[in-house]
Amino acid sequence: MLRFLGTVSIAALVAGSLAACATSTPAASPSNADSKSTIENCGFEVPMSPPPQRVVTIKSTSTEMLLALGLSDRIVGTAFQDGPLPENLETPTPLPVLADKVPSEEVVLEANPDLVYAGWESNFSVDGAGTREDLASLGVRTYVSPAACKEPQFQPKKLTFDDIEQEISQIADLFDVSADELIAKQRATLKGIAKDTRGLTALWFSSGSDIPYVGAGIGAPELIMQTIGLKNIAASIDDTWASYSWESVIAADPDVIVLVDSSWNSKDKKISILESNPATANLTAVKEHRYLIVPFAASEAGVRTADAAADLARQLAAIP
Amino acid sequence: MGAYLLLSTLLLGSIVFAVTIGPANISAAEVWTSILHHLGIGESSLSVLRDGIVWQLRLPRVLTAAAVGAGLALAGVVMQAVTRNPLADPYLLGLSSGASLGAVAVLLIGVSLLLPVAAFIGAMIALALTLLLAGAFGRITPGRTVLAGIAVSALAGAVTSLVIFWTVTGDSYREILGWLLGSLASARWSSVWIGLAAIAVAGIPVMLTGRLLDSFAFGDTSAATLGVNVQAARWSLLTASAVLTAAMVSVSGSIGFVGLILPHAVRLLTGPRHRLLLPLSALLGASFLIWADTAARSMFDPRELPVGIVTAIFGAPVFALLLAARRTET
Repeated sequence: MLRFLGTVSIAALVAGSLAACATSTPAASPSNADSKSTIENCGFEVPMSPPPQRVVTIKSTSTEMLLALGLSDRIVGTAFQDGPLPENLETPTPLPVLADKVPSEEVVLEANPDLVYAGWESNFSVDGAGTREDLASLGVRTYVSPAACKEPQFQPKKLTFDDIEQEISQIADLFDVSADELIAKQRATLKGIAKDTRGLTALWFSSGSDIPYVGAGIGAPELIMQTIGLKNIAASIDDTWASYSWESVIAADPDVIVLVDSSWNSKDKKISILESNPATANLTAVKEHRYLIVPFAASEAGVRTADAAADLARQLAAIP
Repeated sequence: MGAYLLLSTLLLGSIVFAVTIGPANISAAEVWTSILHHLGIGESSLSVLRDGIVWQLRLPRVLTAAAVGAGLALAGVVMQAVTRNPLADPYLLGLSSGASLGAVAVLLIGVSLLLPVAAFIGAMIALALTLLLAGAFGRITPGRTVLAGIAVSALAGAVTSLVIFWTVTGDSYREILGWLLGSLASARWSSVWIGLAAIAVAGIPVMLTGRLLDSFAFGDTSAATLGVNVQAARWSLLTASAVLTAAMVSVSGSIGFVGLILPHAVRLLTGPRHRLLLPLSALLGASFLIWADTAARSMFDPRELPVGIVTAIFGAPVFALLLAARRTET
């Protein structure tokens, strides 16, 4: 026991001095260098040490974050994946799958994790993976992608790439690995995006048919659209995503429509919804097929947001 | 007669006024020149898209709301009279749960039927099951029918939940939730025709049965002594209101409150005579749902609410006021 404590304190010392080095050199990233013992996550205190060894990830954003940081060996189970992994994050052997949907608490605990990392706050509930309090009392740490915090005081006022970088460095700190390479890559991707200057307006059509569910003013859709030079017609709604009305869409007659492609509501289904409704069939974007496509898993804030923006910018440039 | 005139004017005025309201900024004059243009009178200056907002979205939606409101109110009056149960509503015999199951089958399992057709089939299967169950072990009575309806509702509701639980992925639950809460967002001209056809086939005949329904109020025996073939009359009335309800559910999901409370509200105003109660409930139900839906689609512009939320939020306090006013009178 004493020896164990010794190792821990030496490790802490080493980590501390490394952190000190990091702060003395010009910081390449907003890395959380002070040796805090806990991080605040959607208003919930999460102990920092020791670095998690056995992680259950819920939703694609959390899985992909760990893969992007080279932490695939720490994942003991994935659940509720929104779609296939992007090519650059594919693993040689498939990751273990606990459940197609939100796993129950018992399934999560059976995997014996020391961290459950979820893409949505609502994944932690009594009828889901268990509440954060419950899991904490069993010694299991929990972490929610901060962009998905729902309480007003913790939700990003308006999501920026800095928020996403902060999640990357926070996770890197937690696992005691470096975020520098990933963050540098993200910044390079963003730098490479040629912003469209035509002043085009856009609808981000996420799901729904009678009542469209669209990207609103403060979440990842708005961030991506702003990055590539599109003006979101639903930007005035102070929410990440929101229910909208076809009448408002028609009144705005957007120049392009971003279609979110998912297995349950594919881009083709969305196109047929738009074309079969006589009122929306006459929209400029529908008549001229001015569509941009984004996979659902890339449409939520995470390591794919920059790539999604770059991809959509390329598609947009190809639209006359 | 005054009440007829008043409520008919209210309904007409509601239609004329409600189509001019919506998130898109189109003036009342433009709206009505567009509608008149489609009816073959004059020319409209609106662009194709803005004309589409009026003619393809707003007008069919307002007319569907009117038909659904009238149909649900009528079915509510009939159910309450025939079962002699003031808590009866159009959904009593398992109709809405059956229709919901049909809709869920289309939306989530991908059964390739048109949604209204599937909802209608679901409702009729539930009704048939209810009547079978009620008659299976003896004479069919109103009490047995209601109990059988509750059992069928519970079963269909459970299967619906099971399907949702097993198949919902990502955020597709949002769509099914909107439908389960009741929504007129999908109203198109086809919905208008379904609604009006149901009113014509089942609603208008029901409206002429005021005397018959009055006789039910005194009980089966008294009704029989008044020369009514009680069993035959009861089944024709139940079937008519089931057809009415199934058609309405198929275009709008299960909108609560209208069928249960509206007949009581009208009764507070006019008394229990069905000859008045039936048509007045239909007229007021139509206006009520038009306004509830107008609020649902414009109050939180550009967002939309399922209208079922609005009917209850506005309907409950209004009904409470009516109750209070009535108490001070008597």
